[in-house]
Amino acid sequence: MYMPDYEYHTPGTLAEACTLLGELGGKVTVLAGGSDVLHKMKIGNLVPDHLVSLKNLKELREIRYEQGRGVVIGALVTHDGIYRSQLLQKHFLSLPMAAHTMANTQVTNIGTIGGNIVNGSPLADLPPILIALGASVKLVGRSGERVLPLEEFIVGPGKTVIAQDEILTEISIPDQPTTGSTYKKFGLRKSGALAVVSVAAAVTVEGGAITDARIVLGAVAPVPLRAKSAEASLKGKKVSDEAIEEAAAAAAADSRPISDLRGSDEYRRELVRVFTKRALRKAIDEGHV
Amino acid sequence: MSKNYNVIGHSKPKIDGPEKVSGAAKYTGDLKFPNMLHGKILTSPHAHARILSIDTSEAEKLPGVKAVITHKDVPTLKYGLSPARWDENIFCSEKTRFVGDKVAAVACLDEETCYKALKLIKVEYEVLPAVLDFLTAMDEGQPLVHEEYARNINTEIHQEFGDVAKAFAEAHHVRTDTFIGQRTYQCPIEPHSAISMWDAGKLTIYSSTQSPHYFQHYIAREFGMDIGDVRVLKTFVGGGFGGKLEPTGLEFAGAVLAKITSRPVRMFYDRAEMFAHNRGRHAQQMEITTGVDKDGKILGAYANFKMDGGAYTSLGIASAYYAGALLPMTYEFDNFKFDMYRVYTNLPACGAQRGHGAPQPKYAFESHLDNVAKDLGIDPMDIRIRNARRPDTVTPNDFKINSCHMKECLERAREISGWDEKKKNKVPGRGIGVSTGSFVTGAGYPIYRTDLPHASAFIRVNEDGTAATLYTGSVDIGQGSDTVLCQMAAEAMGYRYEQMKIVAADTETTPLDFGAYASRQTYMSGTAVKLAGEEVKKQILEMASFMLSLPPEDLDCEDGIIFSKSRDDKSITFQEAARKHFVLRGPLMGKGVYTPPKLGGTFKGAAVGTSPAYSFGAQIGEVEIDAETGEISVLGIWDVHDCGKVINPRLLHGQVHGALFMGMGESVWEEVLFDDKGKIINAELANYKMLTAMDMPPIESEVIDSYEPTGPWGAKEVGEGSTNPTLGMFSNAIFDAMGVRVNSLPLTYEKVWRALKEKREQEAAEKA
Repeated sequence: MYMPDYEYHTPGTLAEACTLLGELGGKVTVLAGGSDVLHKMKIGNLVPDHLVSLKNLKELREIRYEQGRGVVIGALVTHDGIYRSQLLQKHFLSLPMAAHTMANTQVTNIGTIGGNIVNGSPLADLPPILIALGASVKLVGRSGERVLPLEEFIVGPGKTVIAQDEILTEISIPDQPTTGSTYKKFGLRKSGALAVVSVAAAVTVEGGAITDARIVLGAVAPVPLRAKSAEASLKGKKVSDEAIEEAAAAAAADSRPISDLRGSDEYRRELVRVFTKRALRKAIDEGHV
Repeated sequence: MSKNYNVIGHSKPKIDGPEKVSGAAKYTGDLKFPNMLHGKILTSPHAHARILSIDTSEAEKLPGVKAVITHKDVPTLKYGLSPARWDENIFCSEKTRFVGDKVAAVACLDEETCYKALKLIKVEYEVLPAVLDFLTAMDEGQPLVHEEYARNINTEIHQEFGDVAKAFAEAHHVRTDTFIGQRTYQCPIEPHSAISMWDAGKLTIYSSTQSPHYFQHYIAREFGMDIGDVRVLKTFVGGGFGGKLEPTGLEFAGAVLAKITSRPVRMFYDRAEMFAHNRGRHAQQMEITTGVDKDGKILGAYANFKMDGGAYTSLGIASAYYAGALLPMTYEFDNFKFDMYRVYTNLPACGAQRGHGAPQPKYAFESHLDNVAKDLGIDPMDIRIRNARRPDTVTPNDFKINSCHMKECLERAREISGWDEKKKNKVPGRGIGVSTGSFVTGAGYPIYRTDLPHASAFIRVNEDGTAATLYTGSVDIGQGSDTVLCQMAAEAMGYRYEQMKIVAADTETTPLDFGAYASRQTYMSGTAVKLAGEEVKKQILEMASFMLSLPPEDLDCEDGIIFSKSRDDKSITFQEAARKHFVLRGPLMGKGVYTPPKLGGTFKGAAVGTSPAYSFGAQIGEVEIDAETGEISVLGIWDVHDCGKVINPRLLHGQVHGALFMGMGESVWEEVLFDDKGKIINAELANYKMLTAMDMPPIESEVIDSYEPTGPWGAKEVGEGSTNPTLGMFSNAIFDAMGVRVNSLPLTYEKVWRALKEKREQEAAEKA
């Protein structure tokens, strides 16, 4: 458990950071909170030549509402910062709750939303609920910026579409007609447990019918996975136990779990069914929770 | 029995509480010495491999590297903890036997250089086929972990007491069940650490240890030194639970590195290295057969076990004997047979973990007993009360039981848990289970053969009587023995606890004590301390007799006041008398020593499990199971213990909670997992799931008013006894909740889910 040698950079501005990222040779890693990066370095899974810390980019620590974009969350906002945000609690309580229950206090105090996304882990806790809420990410590079749906950002375990010189700066959650959303995670103890399976759901219910639903599965595919056939099965249906059961079964069929030390593929598939059912029920009955 | 004491029996604050809470307490890893180097051990990446060559030249060239050592630089004498099987070397010379086996070590100016230097040591291996499955390790054609141990058998036990075949033949019902127990690891919060230094021919080692004495003994033996030239002392220790009972590569390699460099060398294990060093719970296959009469009275029992020892013996011979020895404790039966094979595998060595060999066999036996009760239609509580051991009895394997309130523990647990009510009005998805446990109050014999007393102590009152210092070799590893022993010293002296100081666990300044294992210190160290205190008291009363002109028999001393038993107007303070004693007679001191009486039978292995006294306890737990996921919620646990006189109630209940915490983890959550090459895949605390505060249920811990006639003020053990019932209790509560039994530990959510699923499928099939 020791840190291999690396060069440490602390750019003062976003532009400077992008320039550095573009110009540095060798293996370059961006450092936000460090809860993933430093751990990987200590166990030898990541050996960068350069660490570029974003700690001076104070503007990335804000959460604000912007007309037309919705709630905009700076990439360096910590999980605890998300939990404590009045704005998020008011509009999408499901996200603060996911951030609050994802890890122990030490981690939620230092880990950031941007890091949680760029890390690209299929079992990360924030991407499923963010994808369910239709979130987009803003990437800034030397030659400009681009905005894309979070769903398209993560492409494999630890893999994203971010370019060498790009920094994920903001996550935005658009204004939306959804009436409820929630994130359910199944871990093997009550605190400090990685997800065996997680399910995020966002629903729009009008006059007792489900007009739209987004269901995102964590830890059961190489990426946070949209359960598209489950979503399709709900559209236009009256809210009923049968409809929910049917969608839950479809979600289980959509999932592509593997067996590992936390659970077998068979168990995980069944857990997807159970937690999709529970998440849908909660989002339908209780709103954004 | 119910006499009120001034100091013992009260929840006095921990003597080291302020230092620990404020962060001032220094652990071995916090210590710094001038010119201190940092050391690190290179370990084997292969479970079983021949070492073809080791090239240290590149590492030696790295700036900051002060020494690189391999098997060529260290004594070749094999060491271990159980003298019958010394099978470990400081460094491997011909082959490595598990992923993590010691190959070389470096000492450098800083830690970072150590890691770089280790990478520069080139070891050429020829990878050999490995033995990874203990159940097939004895099969013909399996590779040998140690060439001198045929069929990989490390220890073989065959014992029979009474006539089991006859008992089974006469039984109304005979049943056999087989259970599997898993590997778990103690996970003390403080990593193992040692700082070694030489001064001329004398070696001093600061170590995070449960027993400075055993360390001193084995280190002196390894280096051919007099034990007087080896000083081992501990600072504060952040837990041991059996895993810090034997010296490691940190002490042995550290001593050699310190010698070569003539500088202090600090070494420690990181979390992953701790898992690899291991010495935790053995995995075990346990086949249990009992024969009972129609009322469920046990007539005889047969335990047929196999144990995964890992690559070395450690304390495993004792673990193997303990597995059978403590089975006939809580229930009375005359016929008992025990067969055991402890086998070598190419996995980390197993040893003694809280409860030593007892918790898994107890899990198997208690689960089995519930199955038997179900076969007979008897309530699990009733079958236990019917078989409960009585005081002043002898077990079939010759353990003499004095105090024993097994039946009262069960009855009290039944009452406070609401057992009868919960059994009568069953809530779907909920279950309640009961189990019992018992444990030694210190081992009757030392780990290595010696006639030395097991504990000794002395007390020195300072010149003006304002403080008294207890000197003891006993070891506070967090459990609170320093506090308890100071309470006992003050009580025996008639002094105040608040004025006690303690110097402990330093082989140079404190008298011999074997240390913190086998739940021995309150009883054994405590007996020595009590004698020392009484010797002080005798002298101070003689001095007071002179000062007050009253006969010493008329005087007594309590809470620092010496008073006349016959006259109200005559008293002086302990302080006054102590000062006068110093002026007239010199230092006021008392000493005490404890050696257990000769215990146990004469058969092979009769010594393991002997103890001057045994604790007893019953545990009930209630769980709720989520039928869809198998998730287990623990609704409550009720523990009732017979541990003799309680010296410090708060610390006692702390021990019960801690034991329960570990037992719970072993029951459902914890397991050391390996890949198919023998490498641990969860040697960290994210996926080795120790429980968190959030997981702990409400716990009601009670004690029975009990008095052990051989113990100091009637005290006996508590620290490990409370782990023994827990695994079986969970197994039975989960069984009660779902009506099917999972036969292997840990009882994970997935196993529970699968069992429920199979049950539903079977029921559906039966209907169809």
